Amino acid sequence: MALTTQRVDVPVIVDESKCLEKCQACIEVCPLDVLVKNPETGKAYMKYDECWFCLPCEKECPTNAITVQIPFLLR
Amino acid sequence: MYDDINDELNPWVEMLQSSAVEDRLVAVKTLQHMGDEEAIVPLIQALEDEDTSVKKIAITAIWELTNPIAVKPLMACLRSPDAEVREEALSALKELVAPADLLILLDAIEEDNFYMQLNVLILLRKIHDAQALPYVLPFFESEREELREAAITTLRYLNQVETCPPALALINDSSAVVRREATLTLGYLKDEEVIELLCEALTDDPDWQVRRNAAQSIALHKDTSAISWLKKALSDEHWQVRKFTARTLQEIADDSVIPALVKCLTDEYSDIRRDAAIALGNIGNPEVLSVLQQTLDDPDADVRIFSQRAIDKIRQQQTTVNQ
Amino acid sequence: MTNTQHLKTDVLVVGGGTAGTMAAIKAKQANSEAEVLILEKANIRRSGAIAMGMDGVNTAVIPGNSTPEQYVREITIANDGILNQKAVYQTGKLGYEVIQELDSWGVKFQKDTYGNYDLKQVHRVGKYVLPMPEGKDLKKILARQVKRHKAKVTNRVMAIRVMVKDCRAIGAVGFDVRNGDFVVIQAKAVILCTGACGRLGLPESGYLYGTYENPTNAGDGYSMAYHAGAELTNIECFQINPLIKDYNGPACAYVASPFGAYTANAEGHRFVSCDYWSGQMMLEIWKELNSGKGPIQLKMTHLDEDTISEIESILWSNERPSRERFHQNRGENYRTHGVEMHISEIGLCSGHSASGVWVNEKAETTVPGLYAAGDMASVPHNYMIGAFVFGRLAGTNAMEYVQDVSHLEPDADWLAAEKARIYQPLQNPDGIPHTQVEYKLRRIVNDYLQPPKNTHKMDIALNKFVNYHDTLNLMGARDPHELMRCMEVHFIRDCAEMAARASLYRKESRWGLYHYRLDYPEKNNQEWFCHVNLKQENEQMTLFKRSVEPYIVDVNLETEVYDVKVTSK
Repeated sequence: MALTTQRVDVPVIVDESKCLEKCQACIEVCPLDVLVKNPETGKAYMKYDECWFCLPCEKECPTNAITVQIPFLLR
Repeated sequence: MYDDINDELNPWVEMLQSSAVEDRLVAVKTLQHMGDEEAIVPLIQALEDEDTSVKKIAITAIWELTNPIAVKPLMACLRSPDAEVREEALSALKELVAPADLLILLDAIEEDNFYMQLNVLILLRKIHDAQALPYVLPFFESEREELREAAITTLRYLNQVETCPPALALINDSSAVVRREATLTLGYLKDEEVIELLCEALTDDPDWQVRRNAAQSIALHKDTSAISWLKKALSDEHWQVRKFTARTLQEIADDSVIPALVKCLTDEYSDIRRDAAIALGNIGNPEVLSVLQQTLDDPDADVRIFSQRAIDKIRQQQTTVNQ
Repeated sequence: MTNTQHLKTDVLVVGGGTAGTMAAIKAKQANSEAEVLILEKANIRRSGAIAMGMDGVNTAVIPGNSTPEQYVREITIANDGILNQKAVYQTGKLGYEVIQELDSWGVKFQKDTYGNYDLKQVHRVGKYVLPMPEGKDLKKILARQVKRHKAKVTNRVMAIRVMVKDCRAIGAVGFDVRNGDFVVIQAKAVILCTGACGRLGLPESGYLYGTYENPTNAGDGYSMAYHAGAELTNIECFQINPLIKDYNGPACAYVASPFGAYTANAEGHRFVSCDYWSGQMMLEIWKELNSGKGPIQLKMTHLDEDTISEIESILWSNERPSRERFHQNRGENYRTHGVEMHISEIGLCSGHSASGVWVNEKAETTVPGLYAAGDMASVPHNYMIGAFVFGRLAGTNAMEYVQDVSHLEPDADWLAAEKARIYQPLQNPDGIPHTQVEYKLRRIVNDYLQPPKNTHKMDIALNKFVNYHDTLNLMGARDPHELMRCMEVHFIRDCAEMAARASLYRKESRWGLYHYRLDYPEKNNQEWFCHVNLKQENEQMTLFKRSVEPYIVDVNLETEVYDVKVTSK
């Protein structure tokens, strides 16, 4: 079956310059498990568009690298 | 360095000694998430870290472990120049301090540090111990209004303190913030002058929040000598003063305030219309039945409901009397 | 090749939220030697309905303020008489112990200056609401206690089916949502605590995860209990809440109302007299929204700066903290704007209404060895304290039960078939994405099941849900994470079918908007003063009446109608 790649505005924004490669804090706390590490850069990013904008990732980040926006459809 | 620490924790405890702040951040965060109580000693040591973020996470991690040995080291953070460190430590200590820590607190309050004094005054509210009174009193005359405000607030949390003459002067403090708290605290004191002071505050204070708080405090005393002052306050310019006065009149009132309460039934604010209707129902004079009847088509549902209840109450009393 | 993990425990708790953590703790307290395992598909530090904390307790029965009997009366009236009073009584009786225990663990409840609990009145009568202005760390505190009690926790494993043999629960199967391992857990008793079905209806924003409930709560336990052969009840008594429009979080009128805020129509007048959520209140809201006086709002514009700041500091630090930026994005401010409110999509949740797995006053389901607690266990209006109470009961009673039973080996053929069924979407990575399959399913729920209910529409819905099995088989997953979402769509479909069948079965209206049928608009106590229960029988969903147990607290429902509206005379 044919699938397209659709662009989506994602709520969780990671500032890669601040994200620490050895740190897993945001990934561990996300209730929906939407965050993963990019294996090439070691930086976290939002892989699945399933955010509940509940904020633990932002609050637990030790370097304030994460900003969570309200998902566009609700904004 | 820590021989007795288990294998799972060890790498992170070691990483906490790293010279790179990034590593120490990862280490302290991971230890926080692991929540292992064996990590308490290294975490307490991390409170000395030069990096503020490491320090803050260490405070949170220690807080989550709720171990009483952390009280003293956390107390030291209360004098930190960094506001976030102080705030996090204060939150942690609010949960951790127990009555047994009273002496540590009383020691610390004598230290000549503004932040320490302010934070300890707040923590004393968790302990409710009247032994703290002599240590709180000097702050009523402090130069800093924050300390006067904190001290007069703490006073009402100390159990068994019934009278406190030095506190009364603060109802006339130059700062409105201090007067607001003093007015609330006077609700709990039984000094002879209290009712008169509260009545003056209710009608004369320039700050509406002081006047509102006075109405609330008078409700606690339920002293009928305040009725004539309350009557005057029913026409206060601020609606919240009128609302809390009407509420106080639900507890203590007599026929003399009926005209003023009836006037409130057409107040612009629905809360006041409702609270006045309740007060009229409690007074129970059947002469107000016809005017209460008119509020049954009020646009606000609460007013309609409580008016109806007031009417029912008065009618019920009439029936009982007639039997 | 999929790796298989075999685990064994005495008591298995599925779901590590409010009820689950408490169940595990109480099971360990009952017997510290026995093994207790919590299976959690997220991480117990931040999972379940209270992942971000809670700003208050809705049902605190504190001596001196109210009694368990008064509480049972209030809930009996609010739930139109259909309840097992013995179960509700437990929440009234044990709630105070729960609060004291939480207090001793460091949970901060609001106290007055004397150190007494500072209760607020939000219900029609009686004070049951206890604020927790510093409740943001509730979940961390529970996780700490789980650790102290040495209950084991397996995070990121999702349960799919309860294993049943010799008519009793013997464990569960599931998979690791990160590495994809098949996980088989043998247990002597299973406690389901998986929360509400919060992903049943589709939010009007169209965003699948913009739900009121934590979207991980997809009705997993409703479906698992059903397939284990347990009875479910009151499924037609939907959960519908008055929420902040689009944001879909609670406006928290009960937090703000002691400060002077209230729910008002567009003209600024109150139209309901009580901010406690009930079906009757929802019907009034629905009518107001559909009158010329909508939309409705939480009104705070009349309050002063200091009061508003205090309300903000509570509302923005607990439960749904992103609310602050939601308002800011829109340039809205409580000082100048009412908070526009709307009614939510439908869900199933006994914490708020009454729909759930049937449990008695011991938290037992109708399947031996299977217990349920929290939002998914049918004890009406149970909220957070009820979840703790039934978590307690389930933990304690399950531990007692396991003393006399042994592990049973699961059937190998059943395991193989179940494994094949679960992993099927991974065989078909280019199949239809779960997002599209879920969107369509939930859009049908909105179109045909949202009250007011209409028989013709519900017939269509039921037909579509039954046929949706074929659609589910088209789903594809590229990794274990997507597989988790696919399996959740299976749960949602099961809940949708139950919701349609139960709503069609009860031929009357009850519980205000929750079960408002246009073709049977009146309450009919003659024929329908009973539970509607359902269960799986010979592969069929069977519905039947179950009579209401004799009351232990006398309530005259003829004279005590739950009335939240007052019409002008």
